[in-house]
This record gives sequence, C-alpha cells and structure tokens, in this order.
Amino acid sequence: MNEYVAQALAIDCDKVARYLVERLREYIEESGARGGVLGLSGGIDSSVVAVLLAKATDNFFFLLMPSASTPPRDMEDAMKIVKLTGAERKHAVVPIDDYVKAMSSAADVADKRIVGNIKARLRMVLLYAYAQKLGYLVVGTGDKSEIMLGYFTKYGDGGVDILPIGDLYKTQVRQLGRCLGVPEEIVAKPPSPALWEGQTAEGEIGADYETVDSVLYLRYEEMRTREETAAMLGIDVSVVDRIDALVRRSQHKRLPPEIFRLSGRAVGSDWRYPRRYWNVRPW
Amino acid sequence: MRIELAQIRPFLGDVERNFLKHREIVETSDADCVVFPELSLTGYVLKDLTFELFRYSEKAVEKLAEASGGKCVVAGTIKEVRPGVLRNSAAVIINGEVDYVYKFYLPTYGLFEERRYFQRGDPPRDLKTFQHAGIKFGVMICEDAWHPEPAEALALMGADLILIPAASPMRRLGRSLAIQDSWEALLKAHALMNAVWVTFVNTVGSQEEEFFWGGSMAVSPLGEVKLRLKLFEEDRAVYSIDLEELRRARFFSSFRDHISSFHRVLAEL
Repeated sequence: MNEYVAQALAIDCDKVARYLVERLREYIEESGARGGVLGLSGGIDSSVVAVLLAKATDNFFFLLMPSASTPPRDMEDAMKIVKLTGAERKHAVVPIDDYVKAMSSAADVADKRIVGNIKARLRMVLLYAYAQKLGYLVVGTGDKSEIMLGYFTKYGDGGVDILPIGDLYKTQVRQLGRCLGVPEEIVAKPPSPALWEGQTAEGEIGADYETVDSVLYLRYEEMRTREETAAMLGIDVSVVDRIDALVRRSQHKRLPPEIFRLSGRAVGSDWRYPRRYWNVRPW
Repeated sequence: MRIELAQIRPFLGDVERNFLKHREIVETSDADCVVFPELSLTGYVLKDLTFELFRYSEKAVEKLAEASGGKCVVAGTIKEVRPGVLRNSAAVIINGEVDYVYKFYLPTYGLFEERRYFQRGDPPRDLKTFQHAGIKFGVMICEDAWHPEPAEALALMGADLILIPAASPMRRLGRSLAIQDSWEALLKAHALMNAVWVTFVNTVGSQEEEFFWGGSMAVSPLGEVKLRLKLFEEDRAVYSIDLEELRRARFFSSFRDHISSFHRVLAEL
C-alpha cells in the first residue's frame, strides 16, 4: 500500500476496539433492544463484528446460513469464531438452499446474480426473524469499502439496524481483526460474498482492496482529483474512474427511497429528525 | 472563585432527563460556578428536533434557576429570541436570575448545520460579562473559540475568566486525537494572548453517528493546562481561579494593547 495512505489509515486498534464496543453496548441499551444478532460467514467483517458484539453484551446470537456456494472452509472459519467468542450455545446453523430453490422457482429465475441476491435477502429475513424472536437488533457487518462501492445487496446484507464497522475500510478491518485475535487465516482470506461459486470481491471490483481503499480515501476524504490520485498510487486513471463509477452508481443504495414531493413538508429533505426522536417525551 | 467543569453526556432529545442530571450536579457541587457543555439541556445533534425542544429547554432553564441556590450555573440551551427565531445559547444563572449568551459563529460545514436552525448573536448587543464570587467572567460558545475576536472582546471588556461550553465531535480517531491537540492550542492561545483564565467544557459521548470526546480543560493565563477531565467518559472536577497568577501574567503581557485600526482594515476585506 502507498506509504502515505498506509500512514493515514493506520489505526490504534485498542482505542478503536474500545470505542466500537462501547458504542455497540450503548446503542443496544438505548434502543431498548435486549441484544444483537448477526450473520456469521467466516469472513473478516462478520468475524470482527462478532468479536466486538460478544465484548459489548452477553446477549448475542450468531446465525450461520450456508448455501451450496459457501466454501466448506468458511463454515470451519465461522466455527472458529463461535469458539473464540464462547458462542457454543449462542449460535444456530440454518442452511438456506431449500428456501433459495423455492424463491428462485417462485420468481422463475436462474441467473447467478439474481439468485445470489435472493440468498442475501433470505439471510436478512432469517436474521430479522431471529432478532424479533429474541428481542435483539440486527447488527450489520458491512465495512466502509463495501458501503462506498455499493458492494452489498440492497435489503440483503444491507438490511440491518446498525453498521458498527461501517466507517472502517476493509484494510482497517483487517488491522482490527489481527489485534482482536481473529485467526490469521480469516484475516488473510480473499474477501468474497460467496453468492456463487468462485466469486471474489477483488475479482469483481477489478482491483485489490489496498488499491480500492487508497482510491476511496484519496478521492473522498482528501478530495483529490482523479489524476492526482492515480499518480500518487502509481495506477492507471481508468482504475480510479472505475471505482468512482461504482461509488456514483450505488448512491441509491445508501439512501432511503426517494419520495416524490407533493406536500409542504415531505418525509425526506425537510424531515431531518435524528434517530433519537425516540427520546422526545412530552414535558 | 471555584469552578466546576461538568462534562456530561446529554441524552439527545430527552430534556427532562438532562435537566435532572444538571440539577443533581448543581445540588451536589461545592463550587461557586458550575459549567455545562454547549446545548447540554437538549443535546447537540438536534436537526429538526430544534423546533420541538426549544420550549422544553426554556422550561428546564427556569427550573434550573430555581434549583441553583446562590450558585452560578452555565447551561447550554436553545433560546427563542423572537417568535420563530432561535439561538444556540448559554443560559447564565446567577443568584437565580437568568441571562443568555448567544453563539456568534455558527458552524455550517461537514457535519455541522447550525445556520439552518439558529440565528447568530450580534456582537454590539450580545457581548457581555458577568460578575460572581469576586470574578468577572465572559462566556463564548464552541466555534467562537476558533476566531480571535470574541475572546479578545471579552478580555478587553474586563473578563478575568472566559468559559467555553462546547460540543466538539471526534474526527479521525486513527492513531491520535488531532482535534484535542487543536483545542489545546486554541485555549492556550486565548489564555496567553488575552491574559485570562480559560475553561473549556466539552460534551462527551455519542449522539447519532457522532461521538463527543470530552477532555475538558482549564488553562491559566500563563498558558498552562491546570485541569484535564477524562477523554470519552463523563467526568466532573473543580479548580480555583488564582488571581495572583492572573496578576503575574498581566504584569508581563501586552494584552491591553489593541490597535483598533486593524478593524478598519478587516472591515474592508
């Protein structure tokens, strides 16, 4: 990774971990939920969030939801996190292939991308069912790189209540994972949504995460031009443009749905209440 | 004068709960003056809650005045100065009487959107100093400390002490907390340039996405940090203003010199 960017994205792991754990604890408590549930895939993001969640509360639950396209190794890795967090009695394995087949045939689709999104959305449905059953929140596992690129399924893995690591790039999540004791084979594994066999994130995006994170940081946090970004990183400007395009095209995924204005005050641009609207009481 | 820095975490939107916390701190304090952060009665990341909470926050100020005894209390609140015109304010309660200080510089960039909701104070009308327990003091709110004039005006109006209620959110928690270094530099500069005691009381804890870092400080007129509160958690502590230290600083300072023609130049820019 470019030395300048590496310096900028270096984190004090202890400080960041303590901060995230405390915020998780606080959010769960103040939202009135009893705990948190998350989908554990065996990848770096859900492993890190699982460890943070287990530190934040005793009331956590992990769902492992493998499909035919889930590499067996991922489930082995997920079980390592179950063990690491003492979740032997706080997890369930729910294979989803039967439901994927039912939904795919109901929608009459076979395209791997459409079926892949069905998988992500079925997992969301299961997570919310477990959350409601337990009185828990759904804790999301998306990281900043994925969120900015739109590299998630809308209302699938994007359908969650909070995103504790949503302001950490993938390479920063790896740093955090290492110091939280996440096994090295999970930290070093190439990230993949595993929505179909052989899918890898870096293959689909067309750049490795060190490059992706460097471009995202320089373009959107330091507001540098595309040419300057490419020159600093020693990459072709077309790589920067491809990443820019992903960011722009996916903006709709990061916002609530557009509401067409009719009234004097519409829920949207002139309805800017914080989530803590729930705190307001007549006095 | 003994001053208590009450570094609290307000619950965004829950004014009654925040009032109860203020009252408990005021009632259990043995200081002459208790200082709370910016918008401490309402929380800071208000957005459109501003329009709903100003009524509650005015009620909270009245009740706080009733509970203040002989103490001076500085609490963050929303003040409606005319129907429909709201200001980001500090209520200054002395002997049960309430006055208000208004924020002049309203940050509206990045995560800040104060000019959407608030009217700024007007320096000729709204700059004021107060007297309590033998000390003359002024109050300026958060962003006003990122400009030289408010502190200089208060000092030249005779303030021995400047209180700065603030809501400074944490940014870039990478390796170090850069915003803390920036604030420390500003506070020392104000203290040194104006030969005054400076007391910064920051909000702490989360509000929506943001997280306020705490780290409140008291800085002497010689530019030394005399008191530091904890980072990232609620904390309260008391320190005493030492007038001798103020004298020593002023004997060897040019703070009284103000060449007002600079302002003629500034006014043309």
